[in-house]
Amino acid sequence: MAPTGSQSTINVKLLLIGNSSVGKSSLLLRFSDEQWLPEDESSATIGVDFRVHRMDVNGKKVKLSIWDTAGQERFRTITSSYYRGAQGIILVYDVSSRESFDALPRWYSELETYVSESVVKILVGNKEFSRQVPTAEASAFAQRMNSLFIEASAKTSVNVKETFQEVVESILNTPALWNNGTTGQSKVQRTDGGRGGVPGGVQIVGLSEEQAASEGGTCSC
Amino acid sequence: MSTELPYAADAEVSLSYDELEVLRLQYEREQLQSHVTVQTKFNYAWGLVKSPLREHQVEGVRLLQDLYRSEPTRRRECLYYLALGHYKMGNFEEAKQFNGLLMEKEPTNLQALSLGQLIEKGVTKEGYIGMALVGGAAALGTLVLAGLIRRATRK
Repeated sequence: MAPTGSQSTINVKLLLIGNSSVGKSSLLLRFSDEQWLPEDESSATIGVDFRVHRMDVNGKKVKLSIWDTAGQERFRTITSSYYRGAQGIILVYDVSSRESFDALPRWYSELETYVSESVVKILVGNKEFSRQVPTAEASAFAQRMNSLFIEASAKTSVNVKETFQEVVESILNTPALWNNGTTGQSKVQRTDGGRGGVPGGVQIVGLSEEQAASEGGTCSC
Repeated sequence: MSTELPYAADAEVSLSYDELEVLRLQYEREQLQSHVTVQTKFNYAWGLVKSPLREHQVEGVRLLQDLYRSEPTRRRECLYYLALGHYKMGNFEEAKQFNGLLMEKEPTNLQALSLGQLIEKGVTKEGYIGMALVGGAAALGTLVLAGLIRRATRK
């Protein structure tokens, strides 16, 4: 059912995805704590991290569960199991990294596998120096992918709150996400059925040893 | 607007039976071919550690310990999940030790910090239960002693 009543709290599940080190955790940290960790102090997320945040949207009390996933390839299988039940997906790329933008189609195809079409998607271009990805290009891409679009900076805090605000407002305005068991969730249930939401099993096979090894080289351990 | 502390989500959310099955089958298939990839082993260990069943957690921790020894590049995630596994089993000393090793390398790691808080909470809770037991015994002892003294003085 569509979220009604201004008294009861509405639960919303969001998921942050995107390449490694584009600033997913930084955005979340900035949003929930008004904090910013300089690059040398932040560490790559292990598997998945989780935060609860309460906010008021249009007079409604919303409890956000925000799942921050590791972008590293090696965690792909295990993080894919967190898509279940997500109503909003925040796809993050780094404005100064062409590579992270070019990887987006892959993230979108993963979304196709795991979440229903009605799930709200927002594309976020993070950071704002030595731009490599023009705003117009990203915005057009987002439109093609049926996503909201925003450029934000976890460093300066610009548009961070707005990012989350927009997603939640859009989720609240999507009735399909509130009719349990019908359109909103149908796809999720279907993909869950046979393979239990870890279809990433395919990816385990695909991941070659070298790939794993080279990933290990760039990890901050 | 209020916020809550970061939280070790993997501590409480477990996989469904089917999900764990997928990881287990993959692991066993590779075992039969006598070549288990690091990724497969890690994924299965992760699934086991998240399970609410103790025997799963024990097996998960065992696999993670193997990986920790054999795969230096995977140590940080192994440390984290080893700490998590021990925390879930109530082995707070071991949990602290593994989490401590991770914190030594990454003092600002928020996940390790929040897991550290959970471990501390676990220790405190255990302490309270211990104190309650000791306190209860002491109270009972006092009663018995008081009774004995009363009886003795009455004579």
